[in-house]
Amino acid sequence: MSLLRRSVATLAAAAAVLAGTAGCGSGSEGGGGKTKLSFFSWENEQTMKPLIDAFEKQNPGIDIEFSTAPPVAEYISTLQTRLVSGTAADVFVIAAENKTNLVQGGFVKDLTGKPFMANMSKFNTEAWSVDGKAYGMSISSWSAGILYNKDVLAKAGVTEFPTKWDDFIALCQKLKAAGTTPYYESATGLPLSIAALVGHENARQGGGVDAQIFAGQKKFGDLWTGPLTTYNQLFTSGVMTKDVVGLKGEQIVDEFTNGRVAMIAAGPWDVPTLRQKAPDLNLVFAGVPTPDGKPFWAGAASPGWAINAKTQHEKEAEAFLTYLGSKEAVTLFNKETAAMTTTSDVTPVVDKVLEPNLQALKEGAFYLPQIAWPRVQDALNTEMVAQIQLMIQGQAKPEDVAAALDNRLKSS
Amino acid sequence: MRKQRSSPILSLVMILAAAVVGVPFYYIVVNTFKTQRETSASPLAPPTSLYLDNYVRVFENTPILQSFLNTVYVTAVSIVIMLVIGSMAAYAMLLRTNLINRVAGVLLVIAFLVPGQATLIPVYRILVELQLVDSLEGLIMLYTAGSIFCYFLIQGYLRSLPISIFEAARIDGAGPWQIYWRIVLPLIRPILITVGVFQTMWIWNDFITPNVFISSPDKQTLVLQVYKAVGEYSVDWPAFMTLSVIVLIPVVIFFIVMQRHIVNGLLQGSVKG
Amino acid sequence: MTVLGRRAPAVTGALSWLMSPKRLEGLRLQAFMVPIGVVFAVLFAIPLAQSLYFSVTDFNGYSTKVNFVGLENYRKIFTDPSMLAGLGFTLLYAIGTTVIVTVLAIPLAVLLNRRFFGRNVVRAVFFFPAIPSIAILGLVWAFILSPLGSGAINWLLDAVGGFGPVPWLSDGTLAQLSVIMVAVWSSTGWHAILYLAYLQAIPGDYYEAARVDGASARQAFFRITLPLLAPAVTVSSLLLMTGGLKVYDLPYTLTKGGPGYATFTITQSIIQSGIAQAKFGQASALAVVFMLVVGAIVALQLVLSRRLEGRLS
Repeated sequence: MSLLRRSVATLAAAAAVLAGTAGCGSGSEGGGGKTKLSFFSWENEQTMKPLIDAFEKQNPGIDIEFSTAPPVAEYISTLQTRLVSGTAADVFVIAAENKTNLVQGGFVKDLTGKPFMANMSKFNTEAWSVDGKAYGMSISSWSAGILYNKDVLAKAGVTEFPTKWDDFIALCQKLKAAGTTPYYESATGLPLSIAALVGHENARQGGGVDAQIFAGQKKFGDLWTGPLTTYNQLFTSGVMTKDVVGLKGEQIVDEFTNGRVAMIAAGPWDVPTLRQKAPDLNLVFAGVPTPDGKPFWAGAASPGWAINAKTQHEKEAEAFLTYLGSKEAVTLFNKETAAMTTTSDVTPVVDKVLEPNLQALKEGAFYLPQIAWPRVQDALNTEMVAQIQLMIQGQAKPEDVAAALDNRLKSS
Repeated sequence: MRKQRSSPILSLVMILAAAVVGVPFYYIVVNTFKTQRETSASPLAPPTSLYLDNYVRVFENTPILQSFLNTVYVTAVSIVIMLVIGSMAAYAMLLRTNLINRVAGVLLVIAFLVPGQATLIPVYRILVELQLVDSLEGLIMLYTAGSIFCYFLIQGYLRSLPISIFEAARIDGAGPWQIYWRIVLPLIRPILITVGVFQTMWIWNDFITPNVFISSPDKQTLVLQVYKAVGEYSVDWPAFMTLSVIVLIPVVIFFIVMQRHIVNGLLQGSVKG
Repeated sequence: MTVLGRRAPAVTGALSWLMSPKRLEGLRLQAFMVPIGVVFAVLFAIPLAQSLYFSVTDFNGYSTKVNFVGLENYRKIFTDPSMLAGLGFTLLYAIGTTVIVTVLAIPLAVLLNRRFFGRNVVRAVFFFPAIPSIAILGLVWAFILSPLGSGAINWLLDAVGGFGPVPWLSDGTLAQLSVIMVAVWSSTGWHAILYLAYLQAIPGDYYEAARVDGASARQAFFRITLPLLAPAVTVSSLLLMTGGLKVYDLPYTLTKGGPGYATFTITQSIIQSGIAQAKFGQASALAVVFMLVVGAIVALQLVLSRRLEGRLS
């Protein structure tokens, strides 16, 4: 008894003291007549903090209230809940997963023609536009391909990385025969090389195939069956095991840094970690080899920053976006994240290994289905990943995967 | 009760079993003292030198103290409230089995089955109406939902006790409040501590609720700081693991302190059945 | 019995009963239910009523303009093929974890109740898995269960018996097994602590008497411990079953529901359609159906365990 009573009393006392201290810190009006501008991000704090600090220094009247949620599901749901109740931040992130809903619901301001948008690349702005109106400011893009260890390949007598898919399979077999695991690519999500191969097929057919599929003029099979069959050769020829459906990106990077695999599918986001884990590796990026020898990449414009349509601080929000798109901020962002920025007045400094990726961005040789689809992205994505995993396990054929996507589109 | 002798074989077996169960924790803790390079090369090996940069970096970049105080405040108040509400309901349900209470019992089971995601938006709207969004008190209010969990465990426990104890007190002329305070609470101490510890773990580690309902930096809880390491394309695993360890330490200490009190319950002979 | 003739005394009887100390005491006791009633109304009943309403509308979670669509959402969820897969694994997971955890936790609690060197530490370690966030556990277990030869378990299997790498998370059946195994790891300890609390309620005299009667330890376990733990089994298995049916985090972090739909759960489906796909109406309908199904299962389980309790004690 005495213990219980004592613990209750202690807890209550502690709570009362803490309530006092917590109360002190929560003056929401902000000190010294500053305007509070709330910013809901999905970049982590470490990335955004230098930018926010610099902005606040230049604009002493504005205080940025930063909050974050991990992408994608948590971010989307938190933003959704707040928007529908009218408590969302002044500035937030627009992404493929919520673009349609944000625009249709009238939650984001039209940014077309604003001075700060002048600096943005046309491609990035189009990615966050609906019916010719821009709703997000995106300052960078990414492209992902195949990362290989030059020394390991040289040991196997390979100096030139293949551009044709058949040569790539042959290279894998050669490495395998020499006792090296040739290639890993995570299939817990959409495999990057499938995105690249489908993008290549889309370009070969003259582009815009997704629009035709969604307009009912074509089927998914017209675009997907070929690339899926090509990708599936990795398994039918035995150079990659079905283990990849249970391997996360981090595990694959670990295998690579420890020299247990010669090549992996990777993106720019893997480079900083790789440099820390294994500074001595001789890394080279290459596009995904394709049937006709023109390498292609997986890639997209990064999510954009949007302004809440109901913001009370429009002027400040625009000032913030102006800063984020400025030469100074973009340079800083590039330095912090090694992101491949695409604004007109900054030449991004990227790790030497990422130069091929940057080149691919300039040439437009990249594709990501989730971005190319105009709607039902998430439902299709879930179905696609599940079906591809079944295909890898030999329980579905490439045509079945495409047919399942058609069914999913029809029922949505 | 016969005083048991300590068995060395049992001791050995249990310590070995605990070691196996504890391997994942070893993995987490040991890797916070290594560089990324070491982690990647040999995840299970002990660190080669005392590497504290992960901790230094985390303490420099994160407002740990403010978040810690917020978390303690929310956890402590919520736990007290839910234990009181839950035990009161369990007690009333045990002694008064009328129609209202039987219906209430069924309703409470149903409440237990509601998946939280299904009511997220309606609950958020209620909090907006009450002007409790983005406040620690609002979080506490949400956590009182845990009263129903407490009620379940406590009523199950009460049913395992001989009911004659309460009857005897009643005949002696004690009122409901007196019986609750003087007899029920001391008797159910083991389960109160078990449930309290468990709910503490839940609130302390809960991410979804504060993530949705708290936006001001000065009201964030510790777990929100942990998840700040999760970014768009990659996760800062060293920071994530280090922050996780920092968040875990207080609850581990709390558990070790509290669990000693589970043991002494009725063995001291407060009840002769 | 002539009801009419006894009417007057009955009324006065009722009146005096209304005013009686017993009645007042009953009312005071009923007041103990008020707080939980408020919690139930504000945090469950009202939001749930709104969800029910959303389930017959086309609410997308964003727009506040909604249209009534009748039972359209319900029709849609019953014609979705991935739902069936999700239902299968959810049931397997819930029943599997309930049974395995219960079978392991009771003996563990009895052992943890004995006196031995290092007991407090051992108890703490068994309880630990219930503490950390599932995100970090997912990371660690993905490493331990890696299908490659470098994964911890595969490395051990190779070192001990020279077995080839087992594709833990890459094979449908093994992935299901792995997810259930990790769940058992994380909840057995804390359910054992729960049983431990109940063991404290068993007066030591019972064992003393049994010992005097010459009962073995095994007999004491089956004749005293187990019957007296029956209420604990009811509570613990109810928690496991409801928790199991509502599971989301663990399969999602370990396998994202894959390979294929092998570890896809109903809750994942609710979250995906409600949030990521902005079909809040449909997600609400799914939640309603799900609640009814879970309600039926739990009711059945409660009836069974009450009966079992009755037989044992």
